[in-house]
Formats: sequence, structure tokens, C-alpha cells
Amino acid sequence: ADIISTVEFNYSGDLLATGDKGGRVVIFQREQESKSRPHSRGEYNVYSTFQSHEPEFDYLKSLEIEEKINKIRWLPQQNAAHFLLSTNDKTIKLWKISERDKRAEGYNLKDEDGRLRDPFRITALRVPILKPMDLMVEASPRRIFANAHTYHINSISVNSDHETYLSADDLRINLWHLEITDRSFNIVDIKPANMEELTEVITAAEFHPHHCNVFVYSSSKGTIRLCDMRSSALCDRHSKFFEEPEDPSSRSFFSEIISSISDVKFSHSGRYMMTRDYLSVKVWDLNMENRPVETYQVHEYLRSKLCSLYENDCIFDKFECCWNGSDSAIMTGSYNNFFRMFDRNTRRDITLEASRESSKPRAILKPRKVCTGGKRKKDEISVDSLDFNKKILHTAWHPMENIIAVAATNNLYIFQDKIN
Amino acid sequence: MLGRGLKRKLSDYEENMAGLSSAFDSSRNLPYPLKRQLVLNMCLTKLQTYKMLVEPNLHRSVLIANTVRQIQEEMRQESNQQPVNVCPGITPSSHSYTGMESSGISLQLPSGISQQESNCCDLRSVEDPIENSLLIVSDDDMSSAISSILKDLDFVEDISPPTCLVPTGDDQPKFPENTSLKLEDDRQDLKGAECVFGSFEISNSTSYLKDLAIDDIFEDIDTSMYDSDFCCPPLMPPRPPSLATEEPLKTFPSCNSSSASNIQICRTDLSELDHIMEILVGS
Repeated sequence: ADIISTVEFNYSGDLLATGDKGGRVVIFQREQESKSRPHSRGEYNVYSTFQSHEPEFDYLKSLEIEEKINKIRWLPQQNAAHFLLSTNDKTIKLWKISERDKRAEGYNLKDEDGRLRDPFRITALRVPILKPMDLMVEASPRRIFANAHTYHINSISVNSDHETYLSADDLRINLWHLEITDRSFNIVDIKPANMEELTEVITAAEFHPHHCNVFVYSSSKGTIRLCDMRSSALCDRHSKFFEEPEDPSSRSFFSEIISSISDVKFSHSGRYMMTRDYLSVKVWDLNMENRPVETYQVHEYLRSKLCSLYENDCIFDKFECCWNGSDSAIMTGSYNNFFRMFDRNTRRDITLEASRESSKPRAILKPRKVCTGGKRKKDEISVDSLDFNKKILHTAWHPMENIIAVAATNNLYIFQDKIN
Repeated sequence: MLGRGLKRKLSDYEENMAGLSSAFDSSRNLPYPLKRQLVLNMCLTKLQTYKMLVEPNLHRSVLIANTVRQIQEEMRQESNQQPVNVCPGITPSSHSYTGMESSGISLQLPSGISQQESNCCDLRSVEDPIENSLLIVSDDDMSSAISSILKDLDFVEDISPPTCLVPTGDDQPKFPENTSLKLEDDRQDLKGAECVFGSFEISNSTSYLKDLAIDDIFEDIDTSMYDSDFCCPPLMPPRPPSLATEEPLKTFPSCNSSSASNIQICRTDLSELDHIMEILVGS
């Protein structure tokens, strides 16, 4: 199994897609609850596996294009088939996943094994009959959106109009129509005329869940810009600019690096958005630009280790974050296979671990605690013994129920609420 | 050292850096300028490493470059306020400049460390080994390395001499020379700087020529010789400096034309030849 690079539930939560470093997409489907097996309440099993992207070689620049899947986004379901967008650094693909559980038998011109029948043997016409067969799930690429990005794609986001989507790289954001592959509109371009003047890059972008003209993009300087596509064709001037003033007491050499936003997600309601920087998660009210309404510390104990984390490059790790279906809780990952969940109403938070040793099937997860100093209690872990190679960058929350998917390097964990 | 797992062999340099960054995090007594120097070292090392990659990470490079700029700005402000240098008084020996001019501090530092150690061990008490090792990689070696790398990165600002240089008698006459060299390098850099982001420009643009202007690729090829109609003598092969500087002046009178434009072209070509001579002399 390869390192998982993205995790995403579909709109109904019945399907869970993962993309990995080898360019593969694996889709899990939730089993229907059945009365005969009450305990296997909605387990996720493999539904389909396909190779989405292959490694490419750009001969003109002598560069290898990685096949790693950076993001997967589902389209809302409109018929029996499922559609998703998957992207690597340069190319976005629209995949159709469809089921086939019937087979036609009794063709006139072909034998059962596909060979053409001798025309002279055909004496009567018959209507082919559909017979059941073993379920087959097929994935086929329906559109390939290529050659629009000079830099590496970091985000894709499907618009609420279900017809367009955006793709963002370090310096530009493009708008696509799902039906049109040979053209895209550039809606944001922050590339300076002189590359030496570059001080900021785009780190993530997302469409508003309800307003199809609104999108946001975050930057490496810790700012978020909200743009309205109705105001101009090129959204270089933002409609809103979100930035929290720096706290002078916590200033360090690494302040800018840790302020770089690694993920931005709108709440389901569309009223809030959440940003993840290196040490914290912030919830912003779209109506208030000068500071976030809530700030949650993910692993504040790392603040005193920033130099070491800079030296081993961990400070550049890009953690994602997600909302639960009702926007009452948020989740994000950390190191040592820990992930954190925050309840926005009760202000309670919990640290859990995704590892084989600490979770047997149907066992309840035990809360973990990191000891920051002084005497270490039993079951606590000290900061210095955290494993920084075990990082949880990608998590997803079921759109309606309390089911979460956590990617720990090359393992996928799915946790559910306790069943009474 | 952070992280569990099997102990793996690090190179000496990596071990130094890892030890230093742990020291940065754990020690509260480390003086601020030393901490700053350490961070600057790490930033420049990383940028150098990225430069060697075929496709460096733009996001990381921008963040690190911003950190370098910020530290540089801080150091410049400090040096403006305090003309006497604050850094410990290690006289710049001739050793400190050899091998440091070109890029690649990651390669030069170990040798620099050992050379400086022999020079300065009697100047500085070895009470705190960590502080001492930080000192060794700081100061004059770093400032000259910084200026060379920043030139590559095309961050050249004004003509002020590098910070932390102890103004000794030897250095006084050097400053004007450094200044003029810097100006020459500026011009050369402006022509076609292979800075961190410049390489992004060329290597990352779509192969289908949507973004790329063909002219960008050929920017650093000097075609002025072919543009001019004036019959300029070709560049002489390298000779002893005294002879070489006289040659172009001798050949120009052969082109006897009194028109102003020809004289203008003469002058620009002269300055270009001067420029080339200086490089030859300088190397």
C-alpha cells in the first residue's frame, strides 16, 4: 500500500475515496445495514480501485511529473453513476464510476463468447435478455483537463452550480467548465512581473458552498482573500481580506513560516470558514475580516521546538482540517499519529491516536495526552518522544453522521460513534 | 534529538546542524545575534540545496527567502545604528575568504570551521562549546557567504559593505574595489540572473509555450555584438592584464570614423570590454 495523499467522502457519505502517492484511487462503499448482521453497522469495504494518474516525463524541461494524487473532489450525484475529480500536480481528470450488474444475452449477430455468428446460420430474430451478473464496478476517465498550470496544483473545488470548478496552483487559479477541456479561464494571477519580487504564494482555494460567484484562497503569509467573480473577470482585487494582526509577544524567526495556511474549508452553512496553519486552527466569520472568531491550539507544545522542526523540514508539513456535518466540531491531524477534535460549543477537545496497537476493531479509542513539561504522568507522552515521521495530514468527516476517516501514512482508519 | 526510531548515520555537517538547532530550542542563554545567525545559516543552506534540485518547491523557497530577507533587514538596521561591529573580534584572515566567495556553504563550512578554529581559539575562551561552535560558523565567513548567495538570489540591495567586518587597515583599500566589483556583478546579474525564482520561470512554464516568452530563454545571451553595424574588432584572447587593457584602445583608432554614433558605440563597447577585463583580472 502506498502513502495516502487525500481522503474525501462523497455528498451522501456512502462512498469514501482515497488517493495515494502512486496515482491510485481506492473507493470504499458503506455496507447497507441489514437486520441479519446488526453489528456490521455500515462498514466500509473496497468498492473500486483504479489507476488515476501515471508518472509523466516532460521532455522539454527534463522534469518528471509526479503521479501522486493531490486532491479528490466528488461531484454531486445526478444519476446512477458517480463522478469525481482527481488531480496530480499538473492534470485534472474527471472519472465516472459506474456499476454493472446485468449482462445482455442472446445477441443476434454475436455468439455468447463474442464471436461473430455466421450470417447464414441466423434464421430468426430474437430480443436480447438482461441477466444478472456479479457486480462489476468500472471507472472510466471522461474528461482530462491538462496543460493549464505552470506550477503545482494544490487545490480543486467544485462549484455549487455543479457545472464549473476551480483549480489552484502556487500562483494562479483557473476556472473550468466540466464539459470543456480545451479552455479554462484564469481568475486569479499573483505572479509578479519580476519573479524576484515574489513573496507570497497561493496555498489553498475553495468555492463557497452556496454562492456560486464566491470563492476564497489562502496564502503563505497567513491571509485569506475572498473574491467575487461578478466584480471582474480577473479577480486580482479581493472583496474581503482576512488577516489576524500578529501577536508581538510570540514573534520569532519562524513566525511567517508557521503562519502559512495549509488548508481552508468553508463550513457547511457557508457562514464560517476554517483555516489551518502550523500550530493552530482558526474559525473565521465571513463578516469579520480583522480576526478569527475562534482559535484552537493543535500542538502548542511544538512552539518551543520550531528550530528543530525547521531543520528537519517538518515545519513545512501541510495539515488539512475538516468540519463535521452540523459544523459543531472540527478535526485536524498532528504528529505521532495523533489527531485532534474540537467541539465548538462546549470548547472541549480531545486527542486520539490512529494506530494498530492502540485500536482493536470495535474497541473504544482512549484519549491521549502530550506532557509538556515537568513530571510525566502515566499514559502521557513527552514531546521529545513524539514520532515526527508519523503525521496525520489528511482527515475527513462523514457529511451527516459521526464517522471519520483518518489517513496515517499508508493506512486508512475509519472510526464511528459508539453504538449503544 | 527529536523522533523515535533507529539511529541513522548522519554526516558530520548534519549532526552539527541538528545539534545546533536542538541547542537553539533548549537553551535560553543563547544570545540573540547567535540565534539569528544560526537561523540564517540554516535558511541559506536550504536555499542552496533547493537550487541544486531540478524542480525546487516554490512555496518553501518563498518562505525561506522571506525569512532571510527579514533577518538581513534586521542586521542591516542594527549595523546602521551601531557602526562598531558587535560580533566577537575575530580578525579576518586570508583563510576566511578562500573558498567562501563561490556558492555552497554546505560544502565549505566544515573546512571553514577547522581553519577558523585554529585562528581564533586563543581569541575566545572555550567555556561554552555550543556557543563556540556557533561563533565559528558566524561572522566574517558567513557574511561573505551570505553576500555571494544573496547575489545569486538577486537580492542585492545597496553598496554597503557586508556586516560584521572588522575594519582593519587591510580592509580600507578593499572597500572601493568591493564596491566596483559589486556594481559590475549587479549589471551581470541584471542581464540574466539565475536566481531561485528565475529558475522557476524557465523550468516550470508549460511546455506548450502558453506562458513562455521565447525571449526569456535567450535573455542572457549577449547579442549586442551582432546587433551593431559598426565593425567592432573581436575580443582579444586573454593576455597579461597590462597588455590586454591597452589592446582595445589601440585597435579603435583603426576604425576612422568621425560620426558621433560610432564614437558612442566605441564607448559602450569600451565599457563592456572593461567589464570583461575586470572579470578576467578579478578571477
